[in-house]
Amino acid sequence: MADNNAPTADLVSSGDNNNVSSDNENEVSIDALAKKVQESLSLAKRHKFWETQPVGQFKDLGNSSLPEGPIEQPIPLSEVKQEPYNLPTPYEWITCDIDSEEVCNEVYNLLTNNYVEDDENMFRFNYSKEFLCWALRPPGYFRSWHIGVRVKTSKKLVAFITGIPAKIRVRDTVVLMAEVNFLCVHKKLRSKRLAPVMIKEVTRRIHLENIWQAAYTAGVVLPTPITTCQYWHRSLNPKKLIDVGFSRLGARMTMSRTIKLYKLPDQTSTPGFRKMERHDLPAVTRLLRNYLKQFVVAPDFDENDVEHWMLPQENVVDSYLVESPDTHEITDFCSFYTLPSSILGSQNYTTLKAAYSYYSVSTKTPLLQLMNDALVVAKKKDFDVFNALDVMQNEIFLKELKFGPGDGKLHYYLYNYRLKHVLRASELGLVLL
Amino acid sequence: MADWQQYLQSVFFGVIFSFLLAKLFSVIFAFRDENLRITRSSPVVSEPDPRVCDETEPLIDENVKSGDESVAVTGDRSESDDDDWEGVESTELDETFSAATAFVAATAVDRAALKVSNDVQLQLYGLYKIATEGPCSAPQPSALKMTARAKWQAWHKLGAMPPEEAMEKYIAIVTELYPSWAAGSAKKKVTESSDAPNAGSKGPMGPVFSSFIYEEEPGCDLGLFSVVYVFCRYYLMSPGVHTLKISPSSSFHILMDNRGGKEDRKMDAIHSFAQEGDEENLLKCIESGVPLNLKDSEGRTPLHWAVDRGHVKVTALLLNKTADVNTKDNEGQTALHYAALCDRASIAELLMKHGADLEIKDNEGNTATDLCESNWPWMHHVNS
Repeated sequence: MADNNAPTADLVSSGDNNNVSSDNENEVSIDALAKKVQESLSLAKRHKFWETQPVGQFKDLGNSSLPEGPIEQPIPLSEVKQEPYNLPTPYEWITCDIDSEEVCNEVYNLLTNNYVEDDENMFRFNYSKEFLCWALRPPGYFRSWHIGVRVKTSKKLVAFITGIPAKIRVRDTVVLMAEVNFLCVHKKLRSKRLAPVMIKEVTRRIHLENIWQAAYTAGVVLPTPITTCQYWHRSLNPKKLIDVGFSRLGARMTMSRTIKLYKLPDQTSTPGFRKMERHDLPAVTRLLRNYLKQFVVAPDFDENDVEHWMLPQENVVDSYLVESPDTHEITDFCSFYTLPSSILGSQNYTTLKAAYSYYSVSTKTPLLQLMNDALVVAKKKDFDVFNALDVMQNEIFLKELKFGPGDGKLHYYLYNYRLKHVLRASELGLVLL
Repeated sequence: MADWQQYLQSVFFGVIFSFLLAKLFSVIFAFRDENLRITRSSPVVSEPDPRVCDETEPLIDENVKSGDESVAVTGDRSESDDDDWEGVESTELDETFSAATAFVAATAVDRAALKVSNDVQLQLYGLYKIATEGPCSAPQPSALKMTARAKWQAWHKLGAMPPEEAMEKYIAIVTELYPSWAAGSAKKKVTESSDAPNAGSKGPMGPVFSSFIYEEEPGCDLGLFSVVYVFCRYYLMSPGVHTLKISPSSSFHILMDNRGGKEDRKMDAIHSFAQEGDEENLLKCIESGVPLNLKDSEGRTPLHWAVDRGHVKVTALLLNKTADVNTKDNEGQTALHYAALCDRASIAELLMKHGADLEIKDNEGNTATDLCESNWPWMHHVNS
């Protein structure tokens, strides 16, 4: 038995003998077993981690006896684990100072090479450095929530996760939450299962700031989405989108007709449509606060938040508004953020420039017209595609403005906060980056 | 005195003998139990807390009862321990690997299933340890502990094999042993991918990269064709079916002829070849006497299609065969309109050389120049 060098012959013969004796039986039982095992794996095991977390569980779906609100009560800060979770020996935790040029570069490189891709691995998100600085430093942010994992010896950054504070209103309650995002593990370390410990570590650091709820999104179904949204896409540069495989030309559709179909006017159509400026902050804040009231889950923006999130920044976020030519009142608002993606397999192009619909408010100008103007400016700014989720009132304009459905579903989650019912996408007023 | 000595001696031998006997039993049971242990704990394989295995390892050589406990300990540990590495994130390889380990576990329990030799079990054990824990760093067990030693050797001899490689080898062995396992899992894959086509490449948390499901043609009824198109696309993209190619000559004809749409749109093989840039078949078509300027239901000639899809060579071929360069489609557009709209400079130039008329207006009153966004100097030159 200790002889490890002669296994195969033995194996084959013993296998054959057995096969002869109960051939059919084996086939059946192995098939059945395989099926049983696969099924139990896919269901039970996949969410082992999340079943231990204070999140809405699948089994509680539709159980209206459970109260809305926090699932677990806060514990005294002194009882929060004070030391970081253990990492495998070769790795160590670091806090990433995103202000530092060097750290920002490292984070940028990690994400550029390892962050989210499409199913067919043709594109990978390529958040710009300016974008990362914007996304990670909102008012009152905590540096300790920008967490990296690096190799002790080489100091190479191999994993990243972040949280940022956000006031999010759920029905009538404003809850101070963390928005958790940018979880990225280097491709070579995917088998090390760093993600769960990273999620736990960011949770621990969030708890240390006396915050007990979080909001996050995922492309996969975990226990349990508060709502599920779909991405829609509006071609601005159809020829490039087709060339790089972002969209496909129907076999009997011509390129020329497609290009014609997506042509946009050179100029915006709404009188008083202009870029948002600093002096618009109070008006835009008022507009947004009022508008977001109608959604079940939405951010609770104050003027500082609006200053940070909405004030236009080149290649990061664009905001436009409608100032009535007569009354000079600010009546409508729209915004989108810039999120390019690397094109992985094209000789002709390296970057896909995508605009993502952010927050839009329509009171006087029809939303359809407002968003068409947003498309016009996005086209002028040389974006290839304009993306939008079917959240808020977006469904009003999606089809009409020639958005096509995307293959991406985005699930929204709350950590340690239970909602009685799953929301419709249109009841959600929250966009995470 | 002698009696007493003899008595003592026999007691002494008796004790040694019973110790050896007990040892023998414990070894036998431990090995059996160890198989069970791998068996039972491997469904938890995907959260390979190194401590789980360390915890159970010393128990193996003890008696049956403690072996049973080790199963329990394994289970409890992985659920309660805060530092465990259980997965919300896993690659396809991980998933296949854990499925394979779970399958091995299940077959080991199931008496009806095919049994595997010890050597293979050891081999699997070694690969399993590499995959979940990495290279063997434990000290060699004493020579008396035969099973432990054999297992240690199986692990140790694999050296610093990368975990991914170990997983692949493990899966390969299982697949070789139980070909139907692979089939079962492949079947599962297919159904899974149709249920949740996006499960694979997405991270456990964060945003999602989305692209068009397929290009819609608003206002036009694609009818059966879009269904077939999506079907074909799915087929061509699914792994393992790469060899399946749909030949345009057969499929397009069949599809076009059988299609019973409201708005009857017809396209012949010659249009398909032009559209696909299939020079060879296009030439055959022409040589077999298909009219060069044949229009499809939208009034498009093969030249329109070649220009639309940007096939320079096919365009040149058609022009050299004296295709009519100024034929209009149903919307009044010539091939030059197409080239201008699609921003295909070299093709437009080629068309110009073959006498394309810049003055032709489409039904909306636009000349090619009107539709052109780029500044093509030669176009303006001719224009002025």
